[in-house]
Amino acid sequence: MTAALGRYLILASVLVATSGAFVGFAAGQKRSPEGAKWARRFAYAFAALMVLATLVMEYALITHDFSVQYVTQVGSTQVPMWVTIVSLWSSLEGSILFWGFILGVYIAGATWLTSGKHEDYMPFAIGTWLGCGAFFSFLIAGPANPFVSVPNPPLDGPGPNPLLQNHALMIIHPPMLYLGYVGMTIPFGLAMAALLRKRLGHSFLRPLRAALLLPWVFLTIAIMLGGWWAYEVLGWGGYWAWDPVENASLLPWLTATAALHSAIVMERRGILKGWTITLVQASFLLTILGTFMTRSGVFNSVHSFTQSSIGPTILVFLATTLIASVVLLAMRIDSLESEGNIESAASREGMFLVNNLIFVVLTFTVLVGTCFPLIVEAMKGKQMSVGRPYFDAMAVPMGAALLFLIGVGPALPWGRTTKRDLLRALLPPVGTGLLVVAIGGILGVRNAWTLVTLFFGGYAVHVTLAQMWLPLVQRMKRGGSFGEALIDGQLRRGRRRFGSYIVHAGATIVLVAIAVSSTQRTSQELVLTRGQTVNAAGYAITFNGIEDRAEPHRQSTIAHFSVAKNGKPVTTMDPRMNQYATMREPIGTPAVHSTLVSDLYISIMNIGLDKQSAGIVVINTPMVSWIWIAVLLMGLGGLVALIPSRRAVYAVQPQSDAAPSLGTAQS
Amino acid sequence: MNRTVLIIGLLIVAAIVAILFMGLGKDPAHIESPLIGRPAPGFALKAVGSGETIDLTRYRGKPVVLNFWATWCRPCWDEHPVLTANAQMLGSQVQFLGVVFQDEESKIRSFLEQRGWAYPTLVDQAGKTAIAYGVGGVPETYFLDRNGNIVAKFAGPMSAEDIQSNLQKAMK
Repeated sequence: MTAALGRYLILASVLVATSGAFVGFAAGQKRSPEGAKWARRFAYAFAALMVLATLVMEYALITHDFSVQYVTQVGSTQVPMWVTIVSLWSSLEGSILFWGFILGVYIAGATWLTSGKHEDYMPFAIGTWLGCGAFFSFLIAGPANPFVSVPNPPLDGPGPNPLLQNHALMIIHPPMLYLGYVGMTIPFGLAMAALLRKRLGHSFLRPLRAALLLPWVFLTIAIMLGGWWAYEVLGWGGYWAWDPVENASLLPWLTATAALHSAIVMERRGILKGWTITLVQASFLLTILGTFMTRSGVFNSVHSFTQSSIGPTILVFLATTLIASVVLLAMRIDSLESEGNIESAASREGMFLVNNLIFVVLTFTVLVGTCFPLIVEAMKGKQMSVGRPYFDAMAVPMGAALLFLIGVGPALPWGRTTKRDLLRALLPPVGTGLLVVAIGGILGVRNAWTLVTLFFGGYAVHVTLAQMWLPLVQRMKRGGSFGEALIDGQLRRGRRRFGSYIVHAGATIVLVAIAVSSTQRTSQELVLTRGQTVNAAGYAITFNGIEDRAEPHRQSTIAHFSVAKNGKPVTTMDPRMNQYATMREPIGTPAVHSTLVSDLYISIMNIGLDKQSAGIVVINTPMVSWIWIAVLLMGLGGLVALIPSRRAVYAVQPQSDAAPSLGTAQS
Repeated sequence: MNRTVLIIGLLIVAAIVAILFMGLGKDPAHIESPLIGRPAPGFALKAVGSGETIDLTRYRGKPVVLNFWATWCRPCWDEHPVLTANAQMLGSQVQFLGVVFQDEESKIRSFLEQRGWAYPTLVDQAGKTAIAYGVGGVPETYFLDRNGNIVAKFAGPMSAEDIQSNLQKAMK
């Protein structure tokens, strides 16, 4: 009954999305306002059907309705309620349904926010969105159908993937990632609309940028949550492993970040239109590539869903959208002619170009590294893996270069400048950079790349703070208190600019924290017997014994430690090994004691057969919590920049202008 | 039509799609063991029950099915009856051996008493044998030929067909 209802809703959504896509394209072609109106109606109907179908599935999960096949795969009466609710995205079929749900909400939201605006573009955009919607609802209706009826329902099921049950971060990491991934469909639709309309007007940049920025914020946070989860759960003390699926989430982030920057140059100088469109297309296509990577069974990773038959279907969709994007781009790129040119390399726009170049090279580097094992296996029949050394060797210099640009880019004025002005803009932050290097040196940093990162980090912080501070000072000089200047000048008028500098501040801290935490960490392997105290990483760690705990869905072995510093008790730490009935190997959960300076991390390696001894790894990693905090800061900055300013005036600035006093249109 | 964009774009598309297409249908979890074709690492381990020490060289001249497992591993429970049945069927031609990994002898004994056994089960005390074979998880099974060389490896619970097809390589 429930299964049938779900199936009908999905079938209806296939029909609605397909018709809506045709109506949208036809209305765009014929410039028919009536057709455009119908395209919007189809968009809302598609969203409603997707939301309803998802609610039906949640209902089936919560009521443990084992007559629905997906519930028999991931449901269990033994697991807590929150696990039951999040099981929606714990397995392949449900995760695709969840994808459809988010796509529906995005399409409805974007359709609603653009109603009555950009009428010449929107039918094409809605057509593209619903075309993607048609594919995903087809996937849900056929190859990944979660609503198959089970003739003889079992009484209970196995519960979802244990990795999902092991940590609360898993509740928010997948939805955030999906909000980032699926959201890229919206700017893609707008970009395709611009190509189909043969023009990219100034007013259309605003929705395009906003549509890109929102999923960018989600993706930024999702990548961080994934790293945090790996750190808290996987027990090796790291947060990034260049795993194929981690890379898959990073790739669209890199191109989207590049696109956000090139869009600014496009707005200011009227150039890089085709390039920005290409980056927006690439961001969407890379999310589909990422979906293929996780769900086709081609790549092995902690993220992989079990092997499934939907790989070929996604590959066909990927190939189709890739070809459509390339052909359309080739047909129309020349009609998006440039209105200006770059006058000087040592200018803000010159730095934007270098920034784009680095982001694109980084994207290719990660893409090639991820796919290289596939190429080798196909050509030579040998298995190999591309590990950390390749990625680190490539990414470290590029990360440092990006940090350099975060500093130098905003310090440089737009357009051509005199040598004197250049020096005046570029020299003062050098002092701050050297100061940070000196502090790092005193605290024991010796790694050359880390010192370089510290220098660029200090430089970038100086520039970023100055850029945030300058408009405040100018506003205060013209009269007005600090509070007024902050609220009116920065948060109301200059929100976009202010937001982007918050992002830069966050990114600077993230890059520095990554450099410091990955080069300055210490790790010790110890074997402790019960009651023994050892000194490690500046703490006195006492092993208090082993406890076995049985829960309905898992067996846990917990090691208890008390931690003291300078004779004073600090905390207790309880790393554990969880054995889920359905897994081949136990999953360890390390214990982490976080402070702003460094993290103490204890992970179990083995437990003596008599339960009187434990082998542990003790890791001390400086600055690691700054990564999580600073990424949240980046997300916050993105949101600040996203809130539309009512009085925003968008105009191309023909002349260069170093002083950031004009408010809204700058970045 | 901008031909440069079209040609470069389509070349990139063709490369990406071709690479991904070739990857389809493979099992990424399947890792070729570097030990295949090489002599199996030797061991002498204590058998559960009898307490007798069993040396791998004892079975030279007979194909060996070496199954790593543990009582805490649920998929091993499903595999156990398949292994037992095949061992009973092929007992005279093939030697089956179980090696228990990170476990307690009392638990192993009660497991075998409840579910039956048809071949020696050895205790890998510190996991040294599992490390020597490069065991990635349990269950995992190695097939040895008459000369004591590893000819195949299987990760995960086996069906009767999996055992048969891998044994054919070992019996050649």
